[in-house]
Amino acid sequence: MIINLINTVLLLIMPFLFVGTIKKTKAFFAGRKGASIFQPFYDFLRLLKKETVYPDVTTWVYKFAPVIIFSSVIFASLFVPMSCGMSIVNVPFAFVIFSYVLGFGKFFSLISALDTGSSFEGMGASREACFSTMVEPAFFILFASVIALVQINSFESLKHLVFNSGVYGYLIIILASIALFIMLLIEGCRVPVDDPATHLELTMIHEVMILDNSGFDLALITWASAIKMFLFASLITSLILPSGLPLWLNILLFILCIFSIAITVGIVESSMARFRMTHVFEFVFVMSILSLLILTLSTYRIYGGV
Amino acid sequence: MKLYFISVFLLISGAIISIFLDKNIKMKFCAAVSFLSAIFAFIPAFGVIKSGETLQSTIYLPEIFHEVSFIIDPLSAFFVLMISIISSLGVTYGIGYIKPYLKENTNLSAHTFFLMMLIASMLTVVVVQNILFFLVVWEIMSLSSFFLVIFEGDKKEVLKAGIKYLVYMHISVLFIMAAFAVLNLKSGSLNFSDFASVLYNDKELMNIVFILFFIGFGTKAGLIPFHNWLPDAHPVAPTHVSGIMSGVMIKTGIYGILRIVSLIVEPSLFISYTVLTTGILTALWGILYAVGQYDIKKMLAYSSMENIGIIITGLGTGLLGQVLKNPFVMILGYSGCILHILNHSIFKTLLFCGAGAVYTKTHTKNMELLGGLMKKMPYTGLFFTTGAVSICALPPFNGFISEFLIYAGIIKGIPSTNITSFMLLVAVLAALALVGTTAILCFTKTVGITFLGQERSENAKIEKKDVSKIMLIPMGILALFTLLIGIFPAQLFKLVIQPVSILMQSEIPDYVRPVFDVTEYLSFLFLIFVLIIGFVFALKHFAVKNTRVHKVWGCGYNGLNEKMQYSASSYSDLFVSTLKPLFKRVSHIKKPKTLFPKDAYYETEIEDIEEAYIVKPLVKLDEKFLSRFEKIQNGNMQQYILFGLVFLILAILGVICWG
Repeated sequence: MIINLINTVLLLIMPFLFVGTIKKTKAFFAGRKGASIFQPFYDFLRLLKKETVYPDVTTWVYKFAPVIIFSSVIFASLFVPMSCGMSIVNVPFAFVIFSYVLGFGKFFSLISALDTGSSFEGMGASREACFSTMVEPAFFILFASVIALVQINSFESLKHLVFNSGVYGYLIIILASIALFIMLLIEGCRVPVDDPATHLELTMIHEVMILDNSGFDLALITWASAIKMFLFASLITSLILPSGLPLWLNILLFILCIFSIAITVGIVESSMARFRMTHVFEFVFVMSILSLLILTLSTYRIYGGV
Repeated sequence: MKLYFISVFLLISGAIISIFLDKNIKMKFCAAVSFLSAIFAFIPAFGVIKSGETLQSTIYLPEIFHEVSFIIDPLSAFFVLMISIISSLGVTYGIGYIKPYLKENTNLSAHTFFLMMLIASMLTVVVVQNILFFLVVWEIMSLSSFFLVIFEGDKKEVLKAGIKYLVYMHISVLFIMAAFAVLNLKSGSLNFSDFASVLYNDKELMNIVFILFFIGFGTKAGLIPFHNWLPDAHPVAPTHVSGIMSGVMIKTGIYGILRIVSLIVEPSLFISYTVLTTGILTALWGILYAVGQYDIKKMLAYSSMENIGIIITGLGTGLLGQVLKNPFVMILGYSGCILHILNHSIFKTLLFCGAGAVYTKTHTKNMELLGGLMKKMPYTGLFFTTGAVSICALPPFNGFISEFLIYAGIIKGIPSTNITSFMLLVAVLAALALVGTTAILCFTKTVGITFLGQERSENAKIEKKDVSKIMLIPMGILALFTLLIGIFPAQLFKLVIQPVSILMQSEIPDYVRPVFDVTEYLSFLFLIFVLIIGFVFALKHFAVKNTRVHKVWGCGYNGLNEKMQYSASSYSDLFVSTLKPLFKRVSHIKKPKTLFPKDAYYETEIEDIEEAYIVKPLVKLDEKFLSRFEKIQNGNMQQYILFGLVFLILAILGVICWG
């Protein structure tokens, strides 16, 4: 119960700090002082107060979409294990519900982009839809192999990897962390897939889809995408962190882990340029390859060879 | 049982009476009859499905048929329910859809007659036990749907698609007949239920017979590689007909397969692998091609293929569970399969109705010419969006429930002892995920390009007026179903248990019961989801005070117009060009000539590679071979009589020699 409460608080606060930390890291590498890591939260508050502008061609879809996007991310977060490897709602087959609920949000963000009739947003939507078709199968293969190994079919299977499978377990943990990190970059629209720092580049994906959103709507969407990144980061932490530690230590480690993932994202962003659109596919396929490797490893572990 | 017969009788007499009625009230009469018969069919079917008791009644017909028994077991009852409800809604919608044709001098008698006959034959097919009678009714069903497809038979492409459909159906019937003949020879009986022991005793025979049935019924259902009639026949049929055909009629093919499965006590690994791979390949094929289409109805036809594929995948999972003796996998797979049959019939009919409403208003099915319809036709837009969300299997709508059960079955099966099935299940899981996300791509395209943005052509610049109420109400009811089933799946799941136990040929053991809690907690979770959405919506409603309407931002350019929007083909281009080898792009170009070119155009179309590289060459080969016999057909009556005579003499000689 206490853990659930703590997790809920973490869920609401950490996403802002996550984004703030990324920005701070980038500023550090650029030799700037940078804004405080609370800046995303101040931005959020400011956006809430601002006037909301609706383009004249749009319909109810456009007004309703931010609500759906935000609610779906919040609902999906109920299933994700956070500190202590505990999720608020622990149900079997959670990763199916998780990705389909996020899909619901994605559906509305895509059609709300098309609602404006702007070719920019259409382009962004087209790309976003296309990339997610490539990411999802890899995500499912990853979880299928983990489930086959530990025989637990909820999200908490992740934290059992360490005990069950010895050296294979460690290898899988490393590969899975990288795969989930790539997924974080893709779904969170970070460099090298997308660049959240600018709105106006023809290589944009997600950022260009929310070009016309403003005020309250924009606040909801940015918060939602921050939470989304935080969720993938917590999936990674539940892979890495050992369980069975005292509560305070567990929470502390969790927070540290989240921050270090944020710093890693920042480092990746400062040390890499965004890929050309044709190369993004190759990057996305790296994740598929990683999950196939994980599958091979777990098959080897279970059956002793193919 | 009497009520059921009354229901079928009503439909048949309705079919005959409708011929003599004035054409203005024909469709209304049909709708009334089909509603009445739906009520009569609903009562016994619901009773059966609730209690699990089987209704039976036998009538005696002359010679070859002998006794014909009609059995409503839970599996049949499930189909009876679905057919009667969805068809009556479809016919009601048809009243509005057919209206524009009343002004033209079209002959509606044939249409209404065959429409009623189609529903009557579908209701009979899922109940009859005698295989001969089954074939007769099956044929009536195929023929009446053929006549419905060629409603606008004066158009060349309609007739062509209709004949293609007819040919496919008759090839499929050949397979079914062959399988029936084998079983009849072995068992000496004409009843389905007597085949079970034959199939049990001879495993080799079981595999062969099952494959024959699978091809035969699978063609009706649109399974790969016998799917080609589907994307051709659906777009040309009147919309309520394509709704009924796609939502209900192709499910009779599934019914055939399920009926055979219910006769097989111990399926082989071979059967389950075949079903599983065919299912998932059909789903993938369907959705990949759906992405490339710009004709709404053709897209929906391909997406029917996708959903049939998912249904068959569920069946395959269940079969695999049965082979591996894993009751969890079996029950989850089977129940996912059966639920998806119902769910698909709901949202697919809804989507077809929506597409028909768009066609009635704009006179085009081409998405590229549409846009901005959400403002002109708000209700149609809302219902279509609902249908699109639920067909993408997104929670909290109904599509998710059935796909979730199939996923759960697969995941339960993954820690298996058999490495081949492990690999296969992982592949199927990944493929299902791909199908799911591609469906999102496909349907965001359809909703976004058809209903949103600015009007892309003159066709879309219609006055702001939705279609008539008689078309909207059936759509509204279907849309409501999608949401209700999505949020309260537990109630519906109780109805599915009985049909599932028919497929398993045993009662569901008690220790598997916990698996049913899945639907209970989904129901609870989705209520929370709806609450969250409601809360955020209310928050937005109260928090957002000052709003303003402004032009779309065009990077400083103020002359944005409808031609600058993203189009359907550009939206799907990135995906299609990534998977280039899977598609065949056919382009029709007329280059601009002279100084002031007038009619230049460039059109691309995505052709099914299976049709282009397999079916067409085969047909060509066939034509080449048959053209050698052209001499026989010389229009000379005397010679024809001579041929007949020669044939008779040969036949008599044959009988004397071998008889």
